[in-house]
Amino acid sequence: MIFKHVLITTLIFLVTLVASGLSIAGEPTENIRKTTDKLIAIVSDPALKTSDKAKEKAQQIRKVVDERFDWEEMSKRTLARHWKKRTQKERAEFIVLFGELLERTYLDRVEGYSGEKVLYVGEKVKGKYAMVTVKIVTKNDTEILVKYRLKKKGGEWLVYDISIQGVSLVNNYRKQFNSIMTRSSYKDLIEKLKTKIETKN
Amino acid sequence: MKKDLSVRVSVRLFIFFVFLLNLFLTLSFAEKTDAGTGLVRLETSLAATETEGHELIRLAYSEKPVTKAGPAGADSSPKADRAGDSQEDAVESDPWEDEAESIDSIPDPLEPMNRAFFVFNDKLYFWFFKPVATGYNMVVPELGRMCIRNFFTNLTMPIRAISCLLQGKFEGFGIELVRFVVNSSAGFLGFQDVARQALDYQIQDEDLGQVFAFYGIGPVFYLNLPFLAASSLRDTAGWVGGLFINPLDYIVVDFWPNVGCRTVDMLNKTSLRIGEYEALKKASIDPYVAMRDAYYQYRLNQIEK
Repeated sequence: MIFKHVLITTLIFLVTLVASGLSIAGEPTENIRKTTDKLIAIVSDPALKTSDKAKEKAQQIRKVVDERFDWEEMSKRTLARHWKKRTQKERAEFIVLFGELLERTYLDRVEGYSGEKVLYVGEKVKGKYAMVTVKIVTKNDTEILVKYRLKKKGGEWLVYDISIQGVSLVNNYRKQFNSIMTRSSYKDLIEKLKTKIETKN
Repeated sequence: MKKDLSVRVSVRLFIFFVFLLNLFLTLSFAEKTDAGTGLVRLETSLAATETEGHELIRLAYSEKPVTKAGPAGADSSPKADRAGDSQEDAVESDPWEDEAESIDSIPDPLEPMNRAFFVFNDKLYFWFFKPVATGYNMVVPELGRMCIRNFFTNLTMPIRAISCLLQGKFEGFGIELVRFVVNSSAGFLGFQDVARQALDYQIQDEDLGQVFAFYGIGPVFYLNLPFLAASSLRDTAGWVGGLFINPLDYIVVDFWPNVGCRTVDMLNKTSLRIGEYEALKKASIDPYVAMRDAYYQYRLNQIEK
């Protein structure tokens, strides 16, 4: 009889442990998971696999990504000290251009998806900032650590930086943009951004 | 033993030759771009870092004329860059300072030369390595390539184990030893990574460059040499040191078979990574700067662990 009791209590204990383990994943992780699941669903949708549906697929991905990414915050952080010097109009133009470039970069990565495992391994929240750590296990058995940095805006957690294997996207672009701007000018940077976006079409 | 020595000597000669080539190209490049407007020429003595103690010419692109010349002037420009990269004045900083990738960038006094070699490596990849690796991909299935990768990874255990030991990471040292014993036997000479699959003993990603970093040595400056990946002076020195504890040189002592083994290793690695470089190039506006920064951030992250 005692054994039965022990068994039941351990079972209950285990169940609560599992349940609490599941609820540890907080709001930021849930937000990232939702977006990732949506993207995986789009990419693996057999109806969208044909080449004539490529545009529709890209549009759907773009919509999902747009909902989760804070292009303005990303632009601010990328231009850093140069952001202050820009007029409202220039800022608006930059956000659109940079957003387009990032979207394409992200799109390429997402479209290359071929059944990799996505594991949610960590979450940190400090005030209105959060960081979600994701581990991607590829087919040839390599692990890629991805960190999403998020900021809460109007009830939603929005991504303002992604770092892959310790390489932050925002930092990387900041170095490139800074290098171009110190050598030539902001105008030149905008020209370069525009040509980059055009050549990809 | 004689043959063994000749391999090591030839490797050393090759490295020395590369350094001489660097020096020569740097000097010739510096002269060519000398007359350009907006370029400020700074002569920096790198005697402390360069073995030969040569004077290397540092080119700095700057809007403002630098008043101070010599090492003091050279020192001030990276600091200015750092201040420029600071994001404090534009946006509030996030609370991830402890894990945030450093905002400053790696010094790059040899930029004109590095850029030239970057172009060279780019052509080498697209004209040679990529087509050959693509052909190789068609002949050898992915599983086979993974096994070959595992074999070479297992072989270079001493580099990782010694690097763990020198950093006082005794657990990592032990893991590497167990991995080697398990994989060399149960993993059929290392073709299978059973230690990771069955025992969850992960590869300890350590090298001599990280050991130097552990003892407080900075990257010194960025170095992009032909045939080699993005690196720094410190990490190149670590790589050269690694050549002496790579068992391959003690097992395969004849020169050409040794080169053959290294080529297979390199080709095999390339074949598993086709598309990564293309993605970086496609996403960036200045692929050279993108690569330099990606290398720097990646290394900082590795060193932190």
